Amino acid sequence: MKMSLFIAVLSLGMSLASIAAADSNGLTVEEIVQKANHMALYQGRDGTGKVTMVITDRQGRTRQRQFNMLRKDDGDADQDQKYYVFFQRPADVRKMVFMVHKHAALTQDDDRWLYMPGLDLVKRIAASDKRTSFVGSDFLYEDISGRNPAEDTHEMVRMTDDYYVIRNVPKQPKTVEFAYYLAHIDRATLLPRKLEYFTKGDRLYRVVESSEIQSITAKENGKTVTYPTVTKSIARDLENGSTSEMTFSRVRYNVGLKESLFTERYLRRPPREAIR
Amino acid sequence: MRGLKTTLVDFSICHYKLVLLGMGLLALLAAAFLPLAVMDTDPENMLETNEPARVFHNGTKRDFALSDVIVVGVINDHDPDGVFNPETLAHIYELTEFARTLRWPSEEDPGQSAGVIEADVVAPSVVDHMSQGGPGVIRFDWLMPEPPTTRAEAHAVRDRALSNPLLAGHMVSDDGKALCIYLPLTDKLVSYRVYTALQERIAELDGAEAYHIAGLPVAEAAIGVEMFSQMATASPLAMVAILTLLLLFFRKWVLIVVPMIIATVSILAAMGLMIALGFPVHILSSMLPIFLMSIAMVDSVHVLSEFFDVYTPEKGRRQTIKEVMNTLFVPMLYTSLTTAAGFLSLTLAPIPPARIFGAFLCIGVMIAWLYTILFVPAYIMLVPERLLRRFGLSAQQGERQTWLTRVLRALGGLTHKHAKLVLAGLAVVIVLAIWGVTQIRVNDNYARRFVVGHPIRDADIALNEHFRSIYTAYVVLEGQAPGKPTRSDIDRLEQDLVRHAGQMAGEYPQAPALAKQLTGDLARLAGTGETYDGFLATVIESIQTRSIHASDEAFEAWQELEGFFALEREKLKTFKRPDVLEYVAGLQAHMEQAGFVGRSQSVADVVRKVNQELIDGRPENYRIPAAVPGVAECYMQYQQSHRPHDLWHLVTPDFQRATVWMQFANGDSQSTKAAVKALDDYLRTHTPPVPLQHNWAGLHYINLVLEGRLVWGFLWSFFGSFLVVFVMMSFLFRSPLWGLLCMAPLTVTLIAIYGATGLIGKDYDLPIAVLSALSIGMAVDFAIHFLQRSRVSYQRTGSWKATLPKMFGEPARAISRNVLVIAIGFLPLLTAPLVPYKTTGLMLFAILTFSGVVTLLALPAVLTVAEGVFFAKIERPAAVPAEQPQAASQV
Repeated sequence: MKMSLFIAVLSLGMSLASIAAADSNGLTVEEIVQKANHMALYQGRDGTGKVTMVITDRQGRTRQRQFNMLRKDDGDADQDQKYYVFFQRPADVRKMVFMVHKHAALTQDDDRWLYMPGLDLVKRIAASDKRTSFVGSDFLYEDISGRNPAEDTHEMVRMTDDYYVIRNVPKQPKTVEFAYYLAHIDRATLLPRKLEYFTKGDRLYRVVESSEIQSITAKENGKTVTYPTVTKSIARDLENGSTSEMTFSRVRYNVGLKESLFTERYLRRPPREAIR
Repeated sequence: MRGLKTTLVDFSICHYKLVLLGMGLLALLAAAFLPLAVMDTDPENMLETNEPARVFHNGTKRDFALSDVIVVGVINDHDPDGVFNPETLAHIYELTEFARTLRWPSEEDPGQSAGVIEADVVAPSVVDHMSQGGPGVIRFDWLMPEPPTTRAEAHAVRDRALSNPLLAGHMVSDDGKALCIYLPLTDKLVSYRVYTALQERIAELDGAEAYHIAGLPVAEAAIGVEMFSQMATASPLAMVAILTLLLLFFRKWVLIVVPMIIATVSILAAMGLMIALGFPVHILSSMLPIFLMSIAMVDSVHVLSEFFDVYTPEKGRRQTIKEVMNTLFVPMLYTSLTTAAGFLSLTLAPIPPARIFGAFLCIGVMIAWLYTILFVPAYIMLVPERLLRRFGLSAQQGERQTWLTRVLRALGGLTHKHAKLVLAGLAVVIVLAIWGVTQIRVNDNYARRFVVGHPIRDADIALNEHFRSIYTAYVVLEGQAPGKPTRSDIDRLEQDLVRHAGQMAGEYPQAPALAKQLTGDLARLAGTGETYDGFLATVIESIQTRSIHASDEAFEAWQELEGFFALEREKLKTFKRPDVLEYVAGLQAHMEQAGFVGRSQSVADVVRKVNQELIDGRPENYRIPAAVPGVAECYMQYQQSHRPHDLWHLVTPDFQRATVWMQFANGDSQSTKAAVKALDDYLRTHTPPVPLQHNWAGLHYINLVLEGRLVWGFLWSFFGSFLVVFVMMSFLFRSPLWGLLCMAPLTVTLIAIYGATGLIGKDYDLPIAVLSALSIGMAVDFAIHFLQRSRVSYQRTGSWKATLPKMFGEPARAISRNVLVIAIGFLPLLTAPLVPYKTTGLMLFAILTFSGVVTLLALPAVLTVAEGVFFAKIERPAAVPAEQPQAASQV
């Protein structure tokens, strides 16, 4: 299919195709969710971009992160994907690499690798869940690689003029820290614009929002297409007042990334696509 | 003086209905404020709000997001595996699941919720565990995602927890018998709600294990509850005790009603006024009622007693009361003033609640005095004449031979016959006591404010049996950002840059040439900024400008060079430096091994633990990585967890300040003091790799600051009190010599009592410190009475030998009763469940009783031995000048 990774990154993307679908009014909840997931995570066959992240705590103290991301899909069925994250800032973790082979099948855990140049170590990571902090920010690993729609049940709570509001309840509540989350999906674009996470006590404690969307032009099968791409996304931890903002720049789609870039031997020697 | 006296008394007699009405209204008005009382149990408030230690403590709490924490201790002594059996762990899991949801809409801040901070809860099911997942694989898991179903799984949970130095001895006891759940609160005001909810849930669990809820917020709430119960039980008990005594002495209800009324309205007025002025009720001021109870009663008892002695129907009540007030006005004024002055001296103390307590005690005493002057005459005018007549007659019946009379007579004989022996005996007591005073150990311990058997104290004792440490203070270490780079800084940087560029020449052939471009420019760029960091930032900007239009190859080389300078910037961050972390680890090891603290933790532990697990989990890799990037990677991995914010309790995001958690095995301020000194010594003898400032925070440290105030602060108010009372006595007797004599009994008493606390090893803590200054004004009253009446009597008899038997008749009896009334009035404090109350009750009883005995022993003995010195200027039998202050009471 044809979607952008940065949208995917933020779970907030949407495609032109789905706009049409949304307008047609005949969508079931499952279809909305599938399309939103498709738009959010799978635009284009691959993509690259530069991410600047600013983490601001309750007291206004900030920290910065900067990294480049590469993404490549396996096939067109919105299934497995590969990610390569190359760190540039802070300088003391420069050249650190985080690589993921994401598996859409619920039965198969993602494969994750970590290269730490300072310690001169390559490690595989085994984790019990995906809801751990991404590089110490308020984004979770699962916000980046996308939460598999099959892990939740979906229910339309209401439909406003602009949004479908869908309530997502985990099928295995013990594997996550939230009781449910509400996804506000733009009716016009089918882009998820806001995700609100609630505790078991029905208390809103976490919000992920896309605050800026740009249309990125790319080539697809020789034709020029436009991918609406989330270029700014904010995660808020309401409990401790911390906020993380990711800004995407130099987003490119369908650049023809080689499959071999996403292998262990490129961890210690990052490809040029990841560096610049 | 005469004008004031006559005006007050005449007004009271003529307008007695108005006086009664006015007093009643005033008391009611003040009492109306009582329901507005706010309890202040915050130990921080023992210090001024602008006290540097307190300001720093609060700044630290804010900067490191440290919250007030409720601790749920779970102990299983029955199971061989302690708490690590499936049943107990299941209960712990359930309790954690329950506790993490305890949130309610905030009362303080509408729209917000208050309760347990879920993200910061520490319990087996909500903390992370890093471990080896096979060769080259690192695992990230919850420590206990689900309660285990088998013993083997439960053992595994224990082993995982104990393998983490950040949890061992903190969340899990080393013996595996006990476990603590830490529940940080958004606001300590919700602690009671959380406590109650936990209690209910724990009751439902019905496990073999014991649960203890501890932590400062709980202790504070409990102290508030006990303060109420003390005021509600001890004060009425005191009233009953005193009334019983008075009834025993006088056997006349009509007389006893008056002191009760005076005490009640004085207490209502003083407390009401304090609350109306917006002062919260503190542990000290919660004793206002019981203090005022006995003190407020004394004056009116004197007046009534005298009245019924002097009263005859012929004279009539109007004339009699005028005479009585004329006789007693000055002694009552003086005893009230000395008592008030003693209390007022507390306002010199450096502890705000002590100042409030002293000020309102002083006000209360003067209110009681005023009420006595105004109310007693008015009351007399109300009492039917026939009651007065009967009473007057019974009062004339002369002395009965009671046991008290006989004892006192014997005592009087003793002081005369063996005066020197008595004085020598007292001298021995003083010498012993002075030695005892030197043995005094200044120490305060918050947990020991609760009696053994109180849930809070029991929790303290039980948890202490299993944990190395349950009391935390924080050492805050701070590095300084370096200023302008020096010539040698730039030289070193140039060399490093050239070497770095040379090393990467293979990969980036242009790097050495580009580095050369930069080295020529560094000195110029160094001149532009104020700080080293600013200089490096300028260099980086310069690189970015140069590389913007570079070819891919040159760009990559530039990026490498930029990375070099950016890394230099990170190296300026104190707590990313391996050498600094090594230093902190060494400091912790020293403090633990030398036994100053039971346990400590810091970022040095985090980095070492993460490094160990990232490499291969082997113990030898529990160490600080060799270079800044290695340390940074450890931090990054530590934060890629379910709890990224844990790190910020240990270091600030700029990595310039860090906390070292120093955890103590007991709550003694003495232990903290030793640790503070040991740390100072260590920092002095072991030079840190970069200059480090250090300071302490945490309530445990605040307690030590408070302890520092206890000695000098209260000595100051003690001497203030002593001086004021001495001056007043010298003025009263028109002789500094007599003034000094008057101070003698209480001086001996205080030395003896404080010597005794030193000898028996009772810690010198807040209540004991407060009492030294407080008791002077009360204890001196006995001596005033004794000396004043001795002088008056001497003027009639002309010799001490003839005066003595008279003194050990009615006057000594009056003083003894006075002593008993006041001293026993404080004993009901012993029923209170807080140790400071018990201490106060017992100490005051001891001080007042001992002071009474010493008054009756030492003063006559001194006067026997030194009759010539003291009575030289006293006129032998002659007319008493009209305005000479008269004998005190005839109780």
